[in-house]
Amino acid sequence: MATTSSLFAQNVKSDKTTRVEKEEEITKALTFAIGDQVYGIEIPYVVEIIGVPKITRVPCAEVPYFIKGIINVRSKVVPVVNMRSCFGKEEVEYNEKTCTIIVALNDISVGLIVDEVLEVLSVMQKNIAKTPDLSNVNENKFIEYILEMNDGIKLILDIKKIIFDHDLMISMM
Amino acid sequence: MSKVESGMESMIDMYIFETNTLLEQLDEILLRTEEAQTFTDDDINEIFRIMHTVKGSSAMMGFDDLQLLAHKGEELFFIIRENPDHLEDVSFVYDLVFRMSDLFKAEIELIQAEGDYVATDFSEVLADLEKGASMLTDETNTSVRTSGGIDASHGESPEDWGDDVVTVRIYFQEGCKMENLRSFLLLNKIREEAEVKDYSPKDIENDPNASDIIIEEGFTVTFKADNNDSILKLVENAINVESYEIIHKDSGKAENAETAHHEEEPAESAAVPEAVEFVPEKPAKIPAPETAVAVPATPTANTNQAAQLNAGKQSIISVNLAKLDQLHDIVGEIITTESMVISNPELEGLKLESFLKSARELKKLTDELQDTVMSIRMVPLAGPFQKMNRIVRDMKMKLGKDAELKIEGENTEVDKTIVDSLNDPLMHLVRNCMDHGIENSVEERLERDKPAKATITLNAVSSSGEVVITVSDDGAGIDTEKVLRKAEMNGLLMKPASEYTEREIQNMILLPGFSTNDVVTEFSGRGVGMDVVRDNIEKCGGSLTVESKAGFGTTFIIKIPLTLAIIQGMEVKVHDTVFAIPISTIRQSFKVQNSEIINDTQRGEMIMIRGECYPIMRLHEKFVIPSEITDFEDGILLLVETDGKCVCLFADRLIGEQQVVVKPFPSYLSRYNIKGAGLSGCTIMGDGSISLIIDVANLIESY
Repeated sequence: MATTSSLFAQNVKSDKTTRVEKEEEITKALTFAIGDQVYGIEIPYVVEIIGVPKITRVPCAEVPYFIKGIINVRSKVVPVVNMRSCFGKEEVEYNEKTCTIIVALNDISVGLIVDEVLEVLSVMQKNIAKTPDLSNVNENKFIEYILEMNDGIKLILDIKKIIFDHDLMISMM
Repeated sequence: MSKVESGMESMIDMYIFETNTLLEQLDEILLRTEEAQTFTDDDINEIFRIMHTVKGSSAMMGFDDLQLLAHKGEELFFIIRENPDHLEDVSFVYDLVFRMSDLFKAEIELIQAEGDYVATDFSEVLADLEKGASMLTDETNTSVRTSGGIDASHGESPEDWGDDVVTVRIYFQEGCKMENLRSFLLLNKIREEAEVKDYSPKDIENDPNASDIIIEEGFTVTFKADNNDSILKLVENAINVESYEIIHKDSGKAENAETAHHEEEPAESAAVPEAVEFVPEKPAKIPAPETAVAVPATPTANTNQAAQLNAGKQSIISVNLAKLDQLHDIVGEIITTESMVISNPELEGLKLESFLKSARELKKLTDELQDTVMSIRMVPLAGPFQKMNRIVRDMKMKLGKDAELKIEGENTEVDKTIVDSLNDPLMHLVRNCMDHGIENSVEERLERDKPAKATITLNAVSSSGEVVITVSDDGAGIDTEKVLRKAEMNGLLMKPASEYTEREIQNMILLPGFSTNDVVTEFSGRGVGMDVVRDNIEKCGGSLTVESKAGFGTTFIIKIPLTLAIIQGMEVKVHDTVFAIPISTIRQSFKVQNSEIINDTQRGEMIMIRGECYPIMRLHEKFVIPSEITDFEDGILLLVETDGKCVCLFADRLIGEQQVVVKPFPSYLSRYNIKGAGLSGCTIMGDGSISLIIDVANLIESY
């Protein structure tokens, strides 16, 4: 955990010193793919990225389908959510590109299973789509804002909703 | 308002811990001496020291009221110390001091509690303390100094001092504050080593103006010692001493014989200067920040140096529990990683003689490490047990019943968290014994050939992973008829009264809303209590039962696990899921033939064991696991029991018995009722995978 986050921290630092228009960079985001769509999570929430370890299912009828179970992340028990089923997409078999992104907010950690982790990019004010009309986007309810980059749009997720708003997640299914 | 001055928040934990420890010591001494009816000199000095330290640290934290209270107490014992021979009637002293100690504890709880802290008004007790002090003074008719200062020896003129005296003038660092107290501390230290002949300014302990004089002119001490150099060294090393110079006796004039520079000590001692800024005019010792070093061995062990000098004597340190938890986690990680390395699949088929040898060595060491870490968390039950002395004493006074408390097995060790949560239940039980258990009149006791003085026994023994604590009295025992009547009145009966066994009736007193005492007393009898006691004990994984014999007394039996974190579990496999079942609930495991299974259309599958019929719960069905093993002959049955309820669990196979570290489910999942489904937590196994711990009680409930 320490190594990963400090690595990011270092990146931020070195970038900031070299960048001329540094006032424009608001934060950084880790992007990942689910199907063809690119999503992002703001870096401060990301703890680490691991593969897909052995998942222990929690056999309780109340636990919704998208919570796949619990995993052991260095002696910490962390629940994992499959982002595909969370976004109402069909689950696919895990392959070598499938990753678990461990995110944390207020001491609550959750692992998000995604198809593929892409890159860390700078979030610039100019790239944020202004008051976007989200009504056409299927998974809009989780999206905090949209980035318009040269290589396409990236949907930045609202971690608070993913961690706390289980009902919203259930309604998405 | 804020509880303490800014910058002091970090000290408050330390303050509370230290003060509580001291107050407990105080109670202990008082109880012991009250029994013996005499104070020894050591006791008086010890009490005096406790008062003094409490006063000092309270002043440092800015709790003026507490400081004043401790000061009055200190004064009282100062009088006693000065005139120990005149102590004939001291019973009122005990009452006073106990009252004071209670007030202190209550106040500290207030400080500890969340929210705003409002100082309590102590004026009544203060007045009483003063009255007590004056009573003692009148009694002895001796003039008494009102402060704890120890004056320099008088009656000798400088001419008599001889040639080998040394006079030193000491300057403190600029802006270090509280120069008078620093001088006083230093003086005390010099006193330990040498004979102090004179010092100036005189009234350093009580006169804050002395600070100004010390800043201007320095602090002058004249002393005589066998080894002057060692004293000079002591002065040189003292905190915040900027420089010192030796003054020649005849000249009386400063000569720069030696000037020692003394760097400000980093980190910890840096906190002291700002910490003591607002010490009021009264003298106060300055507890060094590392007061976590428990119980200073000498009255002056309150500074950095002294603590270091005494390092040899102190064998106990206090550690933040969170750090222990962290250590515990890391050890768990090491053990998991170790087994990942040793049983790594890539090693399979290789001939690795020396590797295996080293691996065994490593395993031995990590096992030892785990045991040690576990043992660090274990504390003896002596603490909560000793507190009961106080309860018995107070109840004795209030109720007019004569009783003594017998403590056995107080060295039994239990996990720290459990010990903390035992305080309240024990107190309730002891109160209950005093109030309800013991007969109201001595005649009743004598009629039954029992000694007039009742006995309450606290006992602790550890047996097979749990600790059994009993609280028993030799009182009247439980009146089953009265209990039954009462239970009927309160609508607690579930079946006809005649069908209840004696044991069941006795345990009714643990039900919510039950109190047999007709009169609500200060101590017990509100009908809350016993069920709260039971809840508290059950919360830390224990159980409470009661046994009683009419006419001979009542025994409460508390059974608690040694530690919360580790249970002995039987791991069973159902398809790819591993469950851990607490060993304590398993009665037996066995293979069956299909012919032994009874199939009831209404109640499902059952099995007859030794004439009793038990329902069978298929774990794979219960937890919806796609197991291929559905035939009873292929799997295994485990008979589990809790609270007298039994069920047979059907699993694929047994893996083995193992100590498992219980981890709660992540809080992300806490909104789902997993516990209700029969799972109490999870544990990480040697290979890094997670197994689920079955909560047998809930599993049976959900069946």
